[in-house]
Amino acid sequence: MNIPQNLKYTKTHEWIRVEDNKAIVGITDFAQHEITDIVHVELPEIGRAVKKDSPVAVIESVKSAFDIYAPVSGKVVAVNDNVLSNPELVNQSPYEQGYLFTIELSDKTELNSLLDAQAYQTII
Amino acid sequence: MDYTQQNYKAIKQMLDSIGVTSIDELFSDIPKDLRVKELNISNGQTEQELLNSFKGLALKNKISTTFRGAGIYDHYIPSLVWEVIGRSEFLTAYTPYQAEASQGTLQAIFEYQSLICALTGLDVANASLYDGSTSVAEAVVLSLRISGKNKILISSLLHPEYIQTVKTYLENSKAELVVLPQGANGAIERTVLEANIDDNTAAVVIQSPNYLGIIEDMQTLSAATKSKNVLFIAVVNPLSLGLFQAPGEYNADIAVGEGQVLGSPMAVGGSTFGFMAVKKSLEWKIPGRIVGQTTDKDSKRGFVLTLQSREQHIRREKATSNICTNASLNALAGCVFLAGWGDEGFVNLAKTNISKARYAFNKIKSLEGFKVKFENKTFFNEFVIETQKNIKKINKVLLKNNILGPLDLSNFNENLTNCLLFCVTEQRTKKEIDKLVELLAKI
Amino acid sequence: MEKLLNEMSSECKPAYSLNLDVECDYQIPENLKRNSNLGLPNIAESDLLRHFINLSRQNYALSTTFYPLGSCTMKYNPLINECIAKFNEFNSVHPYQAQESMQGILEIIYKLEKDLCEISGLDYFSLQPAAGAHGEFTGLLVISKYFKSIKQKRTKIIIPDSAHGTNPASATLAGFDIIPFKSDLDGSLSIEKLKEILTPEVAAVMLTVPNTLGVFEKSIIEISKIVHDNGSLLYYDGANLNAVMGIIRPGDIGFDVMHINLHKTFSTPHGGGGPGAGPVGVKAFLEPFLPVPRIELKKLKYILNYKKSKSIGKIKSFFGNFPVLLKAYIYIKSLGSVGLKNVSEQAVLNANYMLAKLKNIIDVPAGEKCMHEFVLSPKSVLKNSVKTLDVAKRLLDYGYYSPTVYFPAIVEEAIMIEPTETESKDTLDKFIEVLIKIILEESNKCPQKVKDAPVNTPVKRLNEVEAARNPVLKW
Repeated sequence: MNIPQNLKYTKTHEWIRVEDNKAIVGITDFAQHEITDIVHVELPEIGRAVKKDSPVAVIESVKSAFDIYAPVSGKVVAVNDNVLSNPELVNQSPYEQGYLFTIELSDKTELNSLLDAQAYQTII
Repeated sequence: MDYTQQNYKAIKQMLDSIGVTSIDELFSDIPKDLRVKELNISNGQTEQELLNSFKGLALKNKISTTFRGAGIYDHYIPSLVWEVIGRSEFLTAYTPYQAEASQGTLQAIFEYQSLICALTGLDVANASLYDGSTSVAEAVVLSLRISGKNKILISSLLHPEYIQTVKTYLENSKAELVVLPQGANGAIERTVLEANIDDNTAAVVIQSPNYLGIIEDMQTLSAATKSKNVLFIAVVNPLSLGLFQAPGEYNADIAVGEGQVLGSPMAVGGSTFGFMAVKKSLEWKIPGRIVGQTTDKDSKRGFVLTLQSREQHIRREKATSNICTNASLNALAGCVFLAGWGDEGFVNLAKTNISKARYAFNKIKSLEGFKVKFENKTFFNEFVIETQKNIKKINKVLLKNNILGPLDLSNFNENLTNCLLFCVTEQRTKKEIDKLVELLAKI
Repeated sequence: MEKLLNEMSSECKPAYSLNLDVECDYQIPENLKRNSNLGLPNIAESDLLRHFINLSRQNYALSTTFYPLGSCTMKYNPLINECIAKFNEFNSVHPYQAQESMQGILEIIYKLEKDLCEISGLDYFSLQPAAGAHGEFTGLLVISKYFKSIKQKRTKIIIPDSAHGTNPASATLAGFDIIPFKSDLDGSLSIEKLKEILTPEVAAVMLTVPNTLGVFEKSIIEISKIVHDNGSLLYYDGANLNAVMGIIRPGDIGFDVMHINLHKTFSTPHGGGGPGAGPVGVKAFLEPFLPVPRIELKKLKYILNYKKSKSIGKIKSFFGNFPVLLKAYIYIKSLGSVGLKNVSEQAVLNANYMLAKLKNIIDVPAGEKCMHEFVLSPKSVLKNSVKTLDVAKRLLDYGYYSPTVYFPAIVEEAIMIEPTETESKDTLDKFIEVLIKIILEESNKCPQKVKDAPVNTPVKRLNEVEAARNPVLKW
């Protein structure tokens, strides 16, 4: 299972990459593998304010649907439109082309509560 | 009479395999004091007895030559429709969960969806809903959910039972239902719509032909709605779409309606089916079953239930609707009905309806004591006539002559006292219409 | 491969035709006229008949094979019901004709209501809901309106995680919040856990009895007491009524509201997904809130009563799915009180017989006894990464429809079997033999064959992922 060292993780299997005051969010390789073939993705609208741990997106396989939670609070400033038309990108490239959305952080201290790669490794 | 099969010997063998001595032991988890002594229900009957007793009950209902519509219509159902829906392979199958063993039902639903899209001019149709009234309610719920707004403008000229059903569905929601009053000409006026629409409006719901039979100016009403970035929900009689503008042509977002006219009997109003078609952008938001085309292992075409993560069995409380069982067999009737008429035949059927209705309209309005209620309005197969005569007496006399006369509209709204809603479908012959006119003239 | 209707279309005459016996005299203003083509296919009647008959032959149906679909009660659909339901005097009646001219129909609805009351132990039924989920929704609206009428703010419904998905979906549509109730491994409910989540805001607890694992809730009387002591109501999901007809009555054991799926317990055919009927029954104190119209007997005449000021209103136009109601009523009349009880006894016997033959071979999370259905978890016996889905598909190759799979979700790799009362021992024996063969023998010796199944069906395994990723929803 691919767990890049440079990312932070949540217990609900989201990853987050922080660049300045922005955080790019996706789901982990482990999560995409468990979900199996992803057929549909619903993303939040740009500009929406989100709270840490609240559901903001949905990922769907043929027989199930999974809520994706915001790892941090802030404002959605960008979404990955490519996964809307090609949901398989989340399966193929969960950490790159299959990322989901970008949040502008409102409280950087929240980052401290996230897991690092080693800690995430232990929960899966 | 029951339909169980096990004889004494088989029961004994089965109990032995289970390791109990009586069937009663199988219910040992149910405390004795909770058990029923005996149900107070009459003794079972044989087929012959049932046939006789139900013939008796059937004869307590009267069948008449009907000039009444108002939501349920007397249309001809071709023999082919009866034959197909009577096929036990369609009738006794369940919802097609195991696709490879359900291709008959699945392909027929796919064809039905395609035909509904063709009729409405929209992109995506579901596999059916319960009926017309609940299809409107589902469309309203859909528009509230996707828009995040909470006001619905609904035409007062929708079938009254549809409005009541929508009210019930919205009872515990935060949504506000605003009923648009009818204009003097029996239709909804653009200015009234514009005066009520605001930033909080999720959708506008208009029926055409409306409850009074009048074709609404959907082009204008839709444009006024769409210019405010509000969803337009068209409630339509599918038969009328052979002649009148399709929802797709006037840019409706959602089209819904009652499918009974497409091959289901009146049967006191049910079972029928509701249909729903939407624009492509709403395909993941639509309620109910949807069938999609795919391929099998050998790349051969096949059909499956798809976009299922919208549905209650997966999404539970977050589903787009609670609907599970819908009205598949009635939708199948609709599919056979539409396919059998074909392009030209379907237009002909619509033309026959309007022509016969016009014929009756022209004759009745020229009778003494009867006059047109809404001048210069276009109608399909229903129209309103005002009369000075006693309506109760009219329908009494007609019924004596085995005619189910027009609907008395005085209960519908106070502006329509002394008004009658006539319906004339392709089923009525010239002779029957002439007879109706003759009787009306004498009253 | 059967062509699609649009691929069959030609220049031929359409199947149906009609003659116009009046002048074609009408004008449609340009702005109301349809301009786009209809795009309906043109097909002759004989070809259309072949098309639909060929399609019908691609279905497995109850009339062609054993259909042990758990939770769906696929029992025999008696032919006499269909025969009577075709009577013109039922089909050609208009809903708005005078009540005096449809007394037979009203009598049937009225008497069916009385029989359902007797069977369920509840006091009144509305027969209007068009399906089980519609009945749930109606029942929940009744509950909501009742609490409003006594000025109590109760906004939550407790639903076990083993319940049908319609329960939470209906409760949400009715404006309630859901409190999920984690059930034990056999689907039964812990009294302690219930007490923890039973707050003053709870309007009702929805239960399926027997539960979806086929187990009768032993502590039902205690649960009923706790729920009612809390001022909440108890809702019975009647999906599994076939297990207890004539044995217990939900009304007698504390349920206040229930719905019944007539297309399950009362033998009306499922039609490939409806029409069904989901009558909702209530105790007397909830009667004022039932949908209108109520059908009542006044001075020896059956009447439609719309004047019920506390009613939740209309939940559907007209009076319900009458042909479905009619078939259910014929079924009750043909079985009578003895026959109805026999149904449940034989259904439970058949299920326990199958379970007895399978329990030593395949894991049964809910224990060694069941009511009318049971759930297997073949995870530990399936070899070579063969899954329940593969087993289901392989059963199709042997000519059987598959049991319900992957439900309830609390059981891994679940296979849910409901034989119903109308199958013979011989049918059950043969099915058991095949199921064991697939799970023990084939998954071991020729796993690829199971994973490649089905091969004897009109199409082989279909690609559901492709269907959802790139939806093609019409021709």
